[in-house]
Amino acid sequence: MDDLSLPKVMAAPKSVDIAITGRCNLGCKYCFYADEMVALRDLPTGRWLAFFAELGSLAVQRVTLTGGEVFTRPDLFELIDGVIASRMRYGLLTNGTLITEKTLAQFEQGKRRLRLDSIQISIDGSRAEIHDKTRPGSFDRAIRGLRLLVEAGFPMTVRVTITRHNVDDLENIAHLLLEDVGLKSFSTNEAYACGIVERQEDNLILTPAQRRQAMQTLTDLVARYDGRIGATAGPLALAREAERIEAALARGETGFPGRGTLCGCGGMWSKLAVLHDGTIVPCHNLSGLALGVIGEDDFQQVWLAHPTMVMLRQRHTIPLQSLETCRDCVYQGFCTGGCPQGAVFHTGEVNARNPMNCYRVFKGEDPYFSLETGGAIDYTIRQRNLWSDKGIEEISRMAMQNRATEQKRV
Amino acid sequence: MNTTESTLYIVNPDVSCREEGPDGALLFNPDTDAVLVINTTGLLIWEALRKPRDKAAVVAELMSRCNNVPADSVAGDVDEFVEQLVARGFVGIYQGVVQF
Repeated sequence: MDDLSLPKVMAAPKSVDIAITGRCNLGCKYCFYADEMVALRDLPTGRWLAFFAELGSLAVQRVTLTGGEVFTRPDLFELIDGVIASRMRYGLLTNGTLITEKTLAQFEQGKRRLRLDSIQISIDGSRAEIHDKTRPGSFDRAIRGLRLLVEAGFPMTVRVTITRHNVDDLENIAHLLLEDVGLKSFSTNEAYACGIVERQEDNLILTPAQRRQAMQTLTDLVARYDGRIGATAGPLALAREAERIEAALARGETGFPGRGTLCGCGGMWSKLAVLHDGTIVPCHNLSGLALGVIGEDDFQQVWLAHPTMVMLRQRHTIPLQSLETCRDCVYQGFCTGGCPQGAVFHTGEVNARNPMNCYRVFKGEDPYFSLETGGAIDYTIRQRNLWSDKGIEEISRMAMQNRATEQKRV
Repeated sequence: MNTTESTLYIVNPDVSCREEGPDGALLFNPDTDAVLVINTTGLLIWEALRKPRDKAAVVAELMSRCNNVPADSVAGDVDEFVEQLVARGFVGIYQGVVQF
């Protein structure tokens, strides 16, 4: 497989995920961004406005503003107006707790409402005793904010992150969101291993039995609510994938078209992300892979030619057959290797599979990784890219580039 | 909206245009979330409409930049393409101010 099999890299990313602040009024127990929020400082308004103008000049189509909590920034609407002036659309990720009638009125100015793709709020339980276990002290305010936005007709999405605390509450959550609040739909994911989750005293990550339970419950709820529950990851996505794989195996098939390589993430073809101190990264879930700094590095060049981005795109050409963990797997032809975040977290390497997305691991048939420890790190080997030495050279170059960027930031 | 042969057209200033090398370009209207992929000829027309111009002036601009193309064919293409751009809000009618 060569470069010709890879998609063309567009002149600029279609969208950029931007953490505009590291401040947050909550302390959610599975926050993947918690460490960065403490370690890095916010940028002033002017730096962001100049960056939005750069994105506009590159014809980036949309940004997603996140944090921290976006509504803690007193200049949020000034930033939104900067996005609009730069000919882009925007979305907001928020915990919803700071949204009031006054907030809603502010959206009515200019094109703020017209250019809004969606506002996403996280709800993790049907009542405070459950929701607040992972998002302390926030249920009533989050639901109030959500109801205000829904009643005012805003384009809303809700994300439910499934943990050990709410896995028995999914039916009630669906009832609350779809019948009581009146959402058109909501999406689900699950808490996954990252720094802060590993440090929690109470384990949030689903046990294998709980994941199976969530898969069944969500599948039933999707049928009951006519497909109004979605997922791109987590138990529901896994349930759909499992069904597809088992059906294909029953038909005697050995794989799906376009699979069998480390192609589990398409982000490197369409988006980049920026941390709240201006560090450019491939994705907020890969915040350790610094690519540059906004206002200092040419954003388009970072997108097109940074060695890490080149390597992440090349990742799609690496056959699972070349990975020690996957070479004898019967599901190889159905697999994408999963999200790179989990690969990095569990193995320390980008060019590895994510064991949390592995169907063989899920079925308890994998010789290298066991979910019985709650997805914890009991790796027996460090995965290596056996495909070519060039991959290893690229990783070394990437590490040196990252170090240089880090020094620049200091 | 009624238009005549002398109607002036101009690009919607809110629309972004990203050139993608020999493939042409991508137009994006953030107000409507509409995307339009245009080829290199479309890009020439788009560039011509950065100033207020009627269709005849756009045709003349294209004829000056392309060799050995029949004027009738260019006029037909420009007419069809500009009307498509207007219908989708990528281009407006210029009357001192832009109207969409």
